[in-house]
Order: sequence, then C-alpha cells, then structure tokens
Amino acid sequence: MLSLGAFAFAAPGMLALLLVLPLIYWLLRMIPPLPRLVRFPAIRLLMGLEPTEQTPMKMPWWLLLLRLLLAIALIVAMAKPLLNPQADLPGKGPLLLVIDDGWASAPGWTARIAHAERLIDRAERGGRPVVLMGTAPQPLDAPAMKQGALRPEEARTLLRAMRPKPWPTDRAATVGQLDQAQVDASAHAVWLSDGLEDPGTDKLTARLRDFDGLEVVLPDQASTPLVLLPPDSDGRDLKVRALRPAANGPRKAAVRAEDEQGRVVARIDVDFAATSTQGEGVLAAPVELRNRIARLDIEGQNGAGSAVLLDERSRRRPVSILGERASANGQPLLQEVYYLERALDPYVSLSIGDRETVLTRNTAVLLIPDGAAPSPNDREEIAKWIEQGGVAVRFAGPNLAAGGDNLIPVPLRLGDRSLGGVMSWGTPATLADFPSNSPFFGIPMPKDVRISQQVLAEPTPDLGDKTWARLSDGTPLVTAEKRGKGYLVLVHTTANTNWSNLALSGLFVDMLQRLVLLSRGIAGDGINKALKPWRTLDGFGRLGAPPAGVQMLPADANRTFKPKPSTPPGLYGDENAHVAFNLGDHVDAPKPLALPPGVATDRLSEGGETDLSRWCLLAAAILLLSDFLISLWLRGMLPRAVRLRRAATAAVLIAAAGLFASPPSVEAQTPSTSPRIAAPIKVAAPNEDKPPPLSDEEALRGALDVRLAYIVTGDKDVDDTSRAGLEGLSEILRSRTSVEPADPVGLDLDRDEPRLYPLIYWPITSTQPNLSPKASAALDRYLRTGGIVFVDTRDQQMSFDRPANGNPDLKRLLGAIELPPLISMPSDYVLTKSFYLLSDFPGRWQGGKLWIEAGNGRVNDGVPTIIIGSNDYAGAWAVDQRGRGLMPVSPGGETQREMAFRFGVNLVMVALTGNYKDDAVHLQDIMQRLRR
Amino acid sequence: MAQSTFNRSLELAGTLPALMVAADRVAATVIQGVHGRRRVGQGDAFWQYRQYRDGDSASRIDWRQSARSRALFVRETEWEAAASVWLWRDASPSMQYASLRNLDTKAQRAELIVLALANLLTDASERIAILGGGLRPSAGRVAVRRMAESLFAETKNDAAKLPSLPPLVPLPAHGTVVLVSDWLDPLDRIETVVRHYASEGVRGHLVQILDPAEEDLPFNGHVKFEGLEAEGQHTIRRVETVREAYGARLAAQREGLQRLARPADWTVHLHRTDRPAQTVLLSLYLAMADLRRLNAA
Repeated sequence: MLSLGAFAFAAPGMLALLLVLPLIYWLLRMIPPLPRLVRFPAIRLLMGLEPTEQTPMKMPWWLLLLRLLLAIALIVAMAKPLLNPQADLPGKGPLLLVIDDGWASAPGWTARIAHAERLIDRAERGGRPVVLMGTAPQPLDAPAMKQGALRPEEARTLLRAMRPKPWPTDRAATVGQLDQAQVDASAHAVWLSDGLEDPGTDKLTARLRDFDGLEVVLPDQASTPLVLLPPDSDGRDLKVRALRPAANGPRKAAVRAEDEQGRVVARIDVDFAATSTQGEGVLAAPVELRNRIARLDIEGQNGAGSAVLLDERSRRRPVSILGERASANGQPLLQEVYYLERALDPYVSLSIGDRETVLTRNTAVLLIPDGAAPSPNDREEIAKWIEQGGVAVRFAGPNLAAGGDNLIPVPLRLGDRSLGGVMSWGTPATLADFPSNSPFFGIPMPKDVRISQQVLAEPTPDLGDKTWARLSDGTPLVTAEKRGKGYLVLVHTTANTNWSNLALSGLFVDMLQRLVLLSRGIAGDGINKALKPWRTLDGFGRLGAPPAGVQMLPADANRTFKPKPSTPPGLYGDENAHVAFNLGDHVDAPKPLALPPGVATDRLSEGGETDLSRWCLLAAAILLLSDFLISLWLRGMLPRAVRLRRAATAAVLIAAAGLFASPPSVEAQTPSTSPRIAAPIKVAAPNEDKPPPLSDEEALRGALDVRLAYIVTGDKDVDDTSRAGLEGLSEILRSRTSVEPADPVGLDLDRDEPRLYPLIYWPITSTQPNLSPKASAALDRYLRTGGIVFVDTRDQQMSFDRPANGNPDLKRLLGAIELPPLISMPSDYVLTKSFYLLSDFPGRWQGGKLWIEAGNGRVNDGVPTIIIGSNDYAGAWAVDQRGRGLMPVSPGGETQREMAFRFGVNLVMVALTGNYKDDAVHLQDIMQRLRR
Repeated sequence: MAQSTFNRSLELAGTLPALMVAADRVAATVIQGVHGRRRVGQGDAFWQYRQYRDGDSASRIDWRQSARSRALFVRETEWEAAASVWLWRDASPSMQYASLRNLDTKAQRAELIVLALANLLTDASERIAILGGGLRPSAGRVAVRRMAESLFAETKNDAAKLPSLPPLVPLPAHGTVVLVSDWLDPLDRIETVVRHYASEGVRGHLVQILDPAEEDLPFNGHVKFEGLEAEGQHTIRRVETVREAYGARLAAQREGLQRLARPADWTVHLHRTDRPAQTVLLSLYLAMADLRRLNAA
C-alpha cells in the first residue's frame, strides 16, 4: 500500500503504466481524425480543388487532452486509490464478526452494515478469512447460513443479504453456534451490538473474550432502539407510549400515524423526561381521523419494535341498528332507522338487520329504535351480549311507553308525558347542560332542541347516577346502566321527529358518537380461535405477506404470544377480521447493554476509507462516451438536428445518470424510509385494452399533421368517393379555417391504428365484411378515448327519414361495437354552431336526421363520439381540381353543396375543439347572431 | 406527396394570369389552336366573307350567304394558332437533395415549377407535353393532370436511373422547350443539348435549380464529399479554404450556361430552393409571354 496523506493506492504497481503516457501521446498525435462524410450533388465542381493552405491535419489539442485523461483515469483506477485509508486489523487469525440482528438493530442498520463491510475490506487486504454470525434466530424460510471461515467476498455477499429480524436476539444460542463453527482461537472478534441487554449477554461476552482480541461496537445515541407500545384507545384521545433503554437525559421522538394506504394521518410528539425511560404522547383527533389510523411508527427508527399495528379492536366501531333499512318507497323521514343511519353513517361501519343477523356479526354498539322493539327472546340474547361488553342504546316511543319491556336501565312509568301539545299547558322542554359523570359532558348545547314528548323514569335512589342527560326541568332524558362489561342506554324520546326535534340537531350526532366511543370495540374481545397469519412485519417494520413456515396462533395467543421466527409480529386472522400482535408489548422492556470491564468498545461510524477506483472508472466511461460522440460529430455522422448543443446535453445527462447509478452499493440496502402497510394485494386485471404500439413512421404520419380519415370499405367506388370527399373537405378547411389538414388517410382497421386521427368517416356499404374482433376492439378503444366516428349510411334517397337503425348493414357493421343508445340530434347541439350556424345538414341528399348518442351532454362532456347521418356526405364534398363537384347534389344544387361543406367544417371543428362552442362564454355573441 | 405537389403547383400558377407564349413566328406547321391572329386562317371564329375564287373548294362556300346575293361567298375564319411547349425536368439522383430538412429537394422544386408552368400554359390553351415523353402536345387541364401523373410515375419507379440531361428528340420548329435541372454536368454535354434543339429552331429556357448549400458550400473543416450519382469521393482537409475557388467554378458554370444560351436566343433562369418558386416562375413567365402583343392589345 502506497500512502500519500489522505490518499493511498492499494495496488501502486499499476501506476507504472503512467510511463507509457508519452507513447500514447505520440501515437495520438500521429493518427489524424477521420473526416466527416457529406453527400453533395455538386461534387463535380469540387473535384480537383485542393486546399491552398497545406497545414498538416492534426488532432485538436482538446481532443488529445481528453484521450490522455481517459488513459490516466483508467490507469489510476487500476491502482485502486483509497481515500482515508485505515490501518490493518490487529492480530493474525480470521476476523470474527458477531452482528446483533434482532429487532433492536433496525435503527442504524445501514451504518452497522457499512461498518462491518469496512472491517471485511480490511480483512481482505490482510488476506484473512472472515467468520460471520448473527445473534438472532434465522427466519424459517432462510437458507442455511454457511458456517465457518469464509473468503472476504463471500462474507460480503452474506453480509449484504443480512436483514434485521422482527424478533429479539438470542445470544445464548449464539454461543452454541460459535462452538459449532469451531472458529480458530487466534481470531480477532468484533461484536456489532444493538446496545440492548439480553439474558445471554454474559455468556456471549465470556465466550468472545476467549479469542485473540474483542472489540464491541455500540450504537450511537440516534441508533438506540425505542419500543413503541400499543396505544390506549379508551377515552377520546389516543395515548401512545414509548420505551427507551436508558434514562439518559430528555429526548423527543415523533410517532407517525398512517392509514391503510400509507398516507400520514397525524404526527404525535412523544417526550421522554430526563429521568424516565418511558415517553408519552397524546393525539387529540376526531373519531373519523382516528378510525383511519392503521399503524403507528416512531419516525427515524424503521424497525419492527417501533411499529405498532392497530386492528379492529382499537379502531373501527361496528354499529348495528335493529330494524329494517329505510326503504325508498316508504316515507323515510318518518322512520327512526333513517335518522340513526344518517347520523352515524360517515363515522362508523353500519349494518342493519334483525337481532339474529346483527348479533352474529361483530357489533360494538346496537341501536334499538322503538319501532323494532325486541321480543322477550331477543331481549335475553341482547342482555347476554351486553354483559360481554356490548353497548345497547334504546330509544323510547309508543311501544316502550306501553310497558312490559324489562330491557331498560331504569324502571319506567307507564305512559308518556307530553309537553306543549294541544292538551297541555307546558311548552316543549329544552335540555339542561350535561352532568359531569355523563359521557356527553362537554358537548356544546344547541339552543333549539325541544323535547315535546318522553317517557318518564320511576324515581329510584340511583336514578341521578344513572342519568346522562336531563331536561331543563330535571327529568332524565338519557339514562344508562353498566351491565357486566357493557352498557344499556335508554334515550327517553324517539329516534325520529315524532316526540322531539332532537333527531334533527347536530347534538344527536355528537351524542351518538360519544355512545359509540363508549364501546370497547368488538364485544367480547377474547380471541377464542386459532388465527392464521395474514400479514407480518419484517425487521424494518414493513408489512408483507408472511414468510414460509409461519405458524397459526393458538387461541390463548393474547397472553402467550412471543415474537419469534415461527410467529413474527403482524396481523393474524384474515382479510376481514384480523388481530394485531405487536412486538412492543410482547418483549421485555429494553435495558442498556452491561459489559464486563476491560472490553474494548467502539462506536458505529459512518465514515471510513472510500474506494475511489469506481469513480475513476466512471470518469473514464464518461470520457470515452464523450470521445465517441465527438468523433461522430467530427465525422458528421450525427443527425443534422443533433448538433453540438444536443450532443453536449446528452453527454451531460448520461454522465449524470452514471453518477447516480453507481453510488456505493451498500446504499442499495438502505431500508425504505417510510415503511408502509402493504395494501391488500390487488391482482391487476390484465389490461386487454392496451393499444398496440405504433411504428415511428405511422406515428409521425398521423401526428405531424391533422388528417381526416375514412374507413376503407373494400368497395373501390365508395373508397374513391370517400377519399375525394375528404380531400375536398380538407381543401375547404385549408381555405376557410385555420385547420390545415394534410392528405386524408384510408384506414383498414385490421392494420391501421385509428387513434391518431380526430375524425373518421365511415361510409356504410352492403359489401363491407363484418369487423374482425381486432378491428372492432380498435374502434371501440378509439371511441372510448375521445375519437369521433362519422357514420354515413348514404341511403337517404331510399330510406326517407326512417330511423337510423333501419339500415341492416349499419346494424351488422356496428354490431361488434359497444354502441350507446342513439337519439336524433337536438337542434341546439354543438354541431349546429361549432363554426357556421347551421340548421340542417345536407349532403348529396337533403333531409334526414343526424343521430348521436343519448346522454344529454353528460356523456363525454357533451362531445359526440359517434354521429350517424345518411346523406352521402363524401359524395357532396368530392370536388375536382377546379372546385367543381364530381357528383350531382339534389335537390338543392350548388347551394346545397355549400351547406354540405359547412356541415363538414362544423364536424371537423367539433372533432378538434370539442364542446368549446357550447361554452356559455360565447353564448352572448351566438345569441345575438341568431337573433339577427 | 404527389398529390400535394400537384395542388401546390395549382396554387402557384393561380398567382399569375394565363401565360400566352409568344407565337409570332409560329408557322403553319404548328398545330392550329385558339390564338386569334387577326388574320385569315384556320380557326373556329368567323372572320369575313369574300367572293368565291377559282380554286376554292366547293365545300367552303357559305350557301346561306350566297343565297342572299348573286355571287358565291366563301366564309373565312380567323387564323388561330397555339404554341406547343415541351417541358422537361431533371429527376436524376443528384436532384434528390436538400441540405436542410425543411427545404424542398431540388427534384420536388423542379416538379413544382414544371407543373405550375404547365398550368399557366394550359390556362392559355397552349399545348404542352413532356420532352421525350412520346406523346403529342395536348391542351387542357387534363393535359396537366396527365403530365403530373407521368412525372410522378417516373419518379416513383426508382429502379430506372433517370438521366441528368434531357433526351435529344426531334421537335417541330418554333416549338418551345423549358428545361429544368441543376445544370451541373460538364458544359460540353449541355452544349450538345442546346445545339440540338436550337438547330431545329426551337426556343428554349433553361432553369437552374440549386440548393443553398450548393451555392454557398457552408461546410468547414475536414470533409469527405460523396457524389449522389456515383461520381466518387473527394476529401478536402479544410473546406473553408476552397470556398472561394468553388464559388468561382460555380460562377464559371453559370457563365458557361449563359454563353451557350445567348447565341440561340435562349434564356437562363437561376433558382435556389430556399427562395419561393414564384420568383423563378415570374421570370419564366416574363421570358415566355408575348409581351409585345399583350402591350399592343
């Protein structure tokens, strides 16, 4: 190794090659550059002309310099230059690398791997084998790791394949592996630790100290792992807690909340007090926002330990309504279900049905309007369900007032109380502020809520405690009772507007939401069946399909779950119902690594020596490329358009691409900075509609000029007429409008791609064969992507205004296309005013109707896709060179031909500008002209 | 392509009034046409009656006029004559050249000029034909169309290498030829052509079409030139040093053309493809039109 301050050359012998530079210089001077080649018709005049100036042709100095630099770059690359070279490893034996690859190693994993790679580089330079060992158990689907001493390059490959595991390390087991691997005692051991204590630490340190030298590399402050615990979802706020190994000063962290699509919903700041290992943060967010949260991550950690998946228990509140869905033909405004549904719909997942359907589903809250008063049998079932944690909310009404129902929190008086009715002196009552023991406490009270009828509770000693809302006169409006783990709530008035206008107020929505929050999620959250893995976390906290070998979770998993290779943390269950098992609350609280005294420690470092040879090679490649381009340019081989400026741009671009494409390859392992929940994998339907690619020639022909197109029917007369007609129309367009179409194109739909042409004219003949599937697919695609097909049945003289679908050939030919329903064109359609103001649309014949697709301007923004006419338009448009018609026009003569042209111009304008003229911006002018 | 050249030629011709070729020296051998010559002769338009003379054919007697008087009258018509113009354009490979992408090739421009001229001529009821096309001159819009079609057919048929000099065919005297080419061939070969036609009493107009690059030689540095008609290659180390010499040679070539044309009373018109075709068409027009007669009328 040749060292020059911060530089060193690993293979300095190669620098001797620099001695041949003068030879290269001399050779390059000798060879003149090749001339550019120019084709030139007037060469006869040039023949024999010799330059008067006889300077020897030589290479420009800058090209010479470029080529010499190229040679130097290559030679230097071969000499392996190093920046900041490091000293050789101590000792003589192999290098033993023990790497902690449990969940705690995910933060700073890149730095750890880079550190390890540098160690391997040094071992390689010293010609020493490497033993690589991870301390976490291997995943079940991982190939068996090669044990024992490896060649450094093998070790590097293995190292790059290593990933942090979503479970803790097992250092005691590593000791066993070390014994098995029979590592030479002269080895130099380096332990890249994650900084956390593990029951087997002592054993491992003791074993490692047997080797000839031990160095423990500790993570720095930023790479110290944090553990995120599942949040407490009780109450209104989301409380997140995180743990850290050591209480070393205040620390801040941020927790990011994401929804299922990986969009960030909220950020929560978590503060660790200086002396505490636990940090807390609170997210005060509305229900609908909270419901969207699918996972929480500590920012900058990217590990399985800092990720918490949320499941249905903590998120979604399935709410059911007993009764029937408000039917459209009934009177929804009278039905209680309607009001409940409207109040809750955006916030919760709702289902409506009878008791059996509702309770067999997972339901957190059951709303029972008075109209669906449960039978005694139902009441029993519901009572059982409440015991398990359900929240039942009942609404009063005539049925309940009739008595005989015992599923109520407080005993009721028979009958109801009317306030402010015709037979009563009182006025409808308002609500009093909510008592502080009520879950409604804090909801602002609107002034306009009036209760005109309610059921009354029997006064009992505990009535006050059970009352969650009162009227201003003190009578309870909402009473509730805790039964078992659940609640039974009674609203003493109806869920519709019969007895009060509560159901119309925003208060109703707020109250129902609070009631829903009261619930504990799915009633009875005990998992009572085995769960199969659905999505699992990897070591970087990314959610993905479970690896092979992952096992089902037993029914008592809630208590016994341990993250390990056979049961990594993740979502268990199936797509519809899954339970989250997180690493945070199933591992021991993190503690800092305690090392026996006398062990050499080091910090993970990012810097280190840099191999410059790849940069030299890159420079050489760029120089070579630019030399190539310059040679081409000097010889005139570059296309005329690509002059020096563009060549330079290209060279710079390619150089830049090269720079970005070859960073040090360890970066390839950088975990994505934003782990996301893998959305349920959608098998994308193979897109059959993908249009075929166009050849350049085809694309240029169609795209450089606007061209009208017609469909080749195979009938020569008709095709010639179409062509001549479109030529005539193009001529008219060129002379009268700013549209300057090039020659028209005949389309054979089997071969040609229609999408380049804005308007396709299609004369219907009886001889044209049915469209092939390919052709009809092309046409279908064309219509759906905004093309306009103008179909001309050319039979007006025979059909006399019969509907467009009367033509059998039209029916036959359009049969294969997905045709929208047609209507006769309304008189104010955009076609009547896109260029000329027209009232009828003659072709060779007069009269008849134009048919367009129905849709009242809603389809395709009011621009037609298919227009069907019958007047043989191409016949009228076909003119000879002097502008005289080729075919007679009847009955209107040349005036009618002129009108036909105007229609054609309008048609092309619609095809090119769409509904622009339909725009109300021009309405004034158009109206004025129409009035004239 | 072909269609648009045809249309462009129509547009171009539309900018000028119909071209009546000077035909004052047209002899009776020339096919009779519709130019009123204010003289007795063959034609359709009535000119005068004169008394029957011996030797007149009996069929020429106008019986209606004769019945009114005692003498026999012969109906005389005005002498009408049309000029015949033979057009030729160079379609050899060396014409298929345009130095810039947005320029016409020389061949396109030549076709355009020929067709525009044909339009002007037929509008004036002159007769036109392609030189060496083997057809008799014909009049009318259909003649232009036919001419265009045969020109396009000729060009389309790439296999046939078209010559860079016009064919030498016998033409009736007092015809007119318009020859459009780049006229870069050696002067002695061009002279053969001019001599051949001038000796038959044919009036001629030479149009030289050059690409701007051919006139300016805008290349620099070490360049290997290659001909388009397999003339070979020629390498010049520094083109900028020979530019003046090249310009002199080109000027000499043009001077030579003028020298060839002048004794035969032919005209030479120069045209560059980066200039509008109207200019050369106008100068051709002025050269061909019977200006004296137009002024007199």
